[in-house]
Amino acid sequence: MSRSRRICPNETSNACATMLSIMGVDISVLVKGAPLRLSDLAGKAVAIDAFNTLYQFLTTIRQPDGTPLKDREGRVTSHLSGLLSRNAALLEIGLKPVYVFDGKPPKLKERTIAARREARNAAEREWKEAVAVGDMKRAKTKASQSTRLDDDMIAEALALLNALGIPSVNAPAEGEAQMAFMASRRDVWAGASQDFDALLFGTPMLVRNLTLSKKRRMASGERVDVVPELVELDKVLSSLDLSRKQLVDLSILVGTDFNEGVPGIGPKRALKLLREFGSLERVSAERRAAVPQGFEEVRSVFLEPEVTEDYSLFWSLPDEEAVRRQLCDDRGFSVDRVNSVLSRLRAIPQSCEQSSLDRWG
Amino acid sequence: MFQARARAEILKEVVNVVSTLVDEAKFTVNADGLTLRAVDPAHIAMVDLSLAKDAFEEFKADESEIGIDIDKLGQFLKLARGDDLVDLKHDEEKRKLKIVVGDITRHMSLIDTTGMSDPKVPNLELPATVTVRSDDLLQGIRASETVSDHIALVASPDGFEMSCEGDMDQVHWKKAKKDLGVLETPSAVRSLFPLEYFSNMLKSVSSGSAVTMHLGSDYPVRMEFKIASDKGEVRYLLAPRIESND
Repeated sequence: MSRSRRICPNETSNACATMLSIMGVDISVLVKGAPLRLSDLAGKAVAIDAFNTLYQFLTTIRQPDGTPLKDREGRVTSHLSGLLSRNAALLEIGLKPVYVFDGKPPKLKERTIAARREARNAAEREWKEAVAVGDMKRAKTKASQSTRLDDDMIAEALALLNALGIPSVNAPAEGEAQMAFMASRRDVWAGASQDFDALLFGTPMLVRNLTLSKKRRMASGERVDVVPELVELDKVLSSLDLSRKQLVDLSILVGTDFNEGVPGIGPKRALKLLREFGSLERVSAERRAAVPQGFEEVRSVFLEPEVTEDYSLFWSLPDEEAVRRQLCDDRGFSVDRVNSVLSRLRAIPQSCEQSSLDRWG
Repeated sequence: MFQARARAEILKEVVNVVSTLVDEAKFTVNADGLTLRAVDPAHIAMVDLSLAKDAFEEFKADESEIGIDIDKLGQFLKLARGDDLVDLKHDEEKRKLKIVVGDITRHMSLIDTTGMSDPKVPNLELPATVTVRSDDLLQGIRASETVSDHIALVASPDGFEMSCEGDMDQVHWKKAKKDLGVLETPSAVRSLFPLEYFSNMLKSVSSGSAVTMHLGSDYPVRMEFKIASDKGEVRYLLAPRIESND
C-alpha cells in the first residue's frame, strides 16, 4: 500500500490547482472557521489524521533541491523527524494527541488513487529534469509533489508513537470517518485534519492548521502565515442552512475523492441548487443539473462509513530507551537532540484535563 | 429597530467583558434592554451579559439581533472619552450600525448572525458562594501568574483560598471568613481552572467591584458582577481542569 493523499494541501500554485479535484472535497469557500489559540487545546484529546500529517512532513521537510532527510543507509527520515518535534510541542501545551491511520480505502476511491499515483510519477520525472537543469525552486516543488508514504514509513511512525506513549488507532477504512466517530462519541474533543472530508463524515469539531510555527512551508518552499482554526460542524450547517446529508450532496456535485463532480458546478452553484431543491434526487427530477451517476453509493460512504469501536486511548510516559534505540541507534538522529526532546517531555507536569462546558450541557 | 444613546464608558465596559472570550458577538435587543450570550471557540468559558435600558441615556428597540465585530467596536470607542455620549442606530436594510461620537460618524458593517446559535447555559448546582473584591482577586492572580498555568479555587466554611502549584514554587492567597463579604458553603469545595482564562475574565471587571463566585468540586465556576453602575449584570462561566488520578 503506497497510496498518496493530498500531495499538496492548500496548495495555490498553478501546478496544483489543476489537481485539486482529486485531493479531497474543496468546499473551502463555504466553510468558515474561527481562529484558535493552541493553548485552548490544553488538556484536550485530539484525533489527528495520521496520513495527512505524515504527508505534510514528507512533503515539507526537505532539502533545497527537494531531497528528503535521509539516514546513512539512504532511508527517508523526514516523517520521524516531524513526528518527534510536532508531538513534543503538542504534549508540552498539554494536548493529548491520538493518531488515526487509514485502513483499506473504499472501492470508489480506486480511480482517485490511480490518478494520484500517476500525478506522483509525473512529478518525480519532472523533479529529476529540474535538478538536471539546475532549477532548484521547481525541483523542490516537484519533489514535494512526488511524495510517497510507504508501508515501512507507516510502521516506523506507529513504532515511534508507541515509544512516545501516544495512542494510535487503525481505522477499518477512511481515517476521517473513524475520527468523526470518536469525536461524536466524545472520546476525543476534536479531529485534526486539513481535509474538509472530515466534516462530511460528521466530525463535530475540526481543528485545521494544527501546526506550531506561525508559518507553513508550502510545497514550493514559499512560507505563508497560518493560524490554527476551529471549524464547528453545527455552525457550518446552520450558516449554510443545510443538513449534513445536504452538505454531502453538495460535495458530490462539486466532486469528492469518491466521484467526479459535475463540470461547471462549483461550491456556490451547488449550494444554490441544494438550498432550492433539498436533495440530489430533487435536483435531478427537476432537471436542473446533471447529477453524478451512482451518487447514492457515494453518499453512503460519508453517511454510513465503516468504523470501529475497537480502540483504547491511553497516554503514557515515553519509553526513552525505545525512542533512542529507534531514532539514534537505527536511524542516526543526534543523541543530543533526542535527549533534549525527552527531557522536555519528562518535565511536563502530571496531566490535568481541561474540561469543556459542553460536559455540563 | 434599535436606537440608543449611552455614555462611552458603559459601552467600553461591555466591550471589555465580551472581548475576553469572543471576537464576534450577537447582541439581542428588545424593549427592556440588551443581552448577549456567547462561548469562546474552545467552549471553555461563557459570558452571559444583560444591560437594562436604564443603563442608556436613551433607548428604543424592538426585538432584533445585531452581529458585532467586538474588536472593531472597541477600537472605535477608543476615540471617545469615558463621559462622551455615543449614539447608536441599527440600519437593518444596509446591515450597518451607525455610531456617532462627537463629530465622528462611523457606519460599521454588521456580521451575519444566522449561523450564530445561542449557547445553552449549563444547569449547575454549585454549593459554595463567596463574594470577593475584584482588586483582591487580581492580586492573587498576579501572584500566581509566574508560578503555573492553572489555579485552584478552594472555599471552605472558614475561608476562601486561591492556590497555585508549579514545578518549583507554590503560591497561596487566602482570606478568612471575617474578611469576606459573603461566604456560604456546607463543606470545603475545590476546583482547578486555567489561569489564563480566569485572569483575562477578571481583568475585565472594573476596579472596586464585588465578584460573587459560585463553586463546586471539579465543577465550573460561575462569576457574577454588576456593570454600568448596577444597571447591567455579567455572568461568566469557566470550565474546570480535572486532575486525572492515574
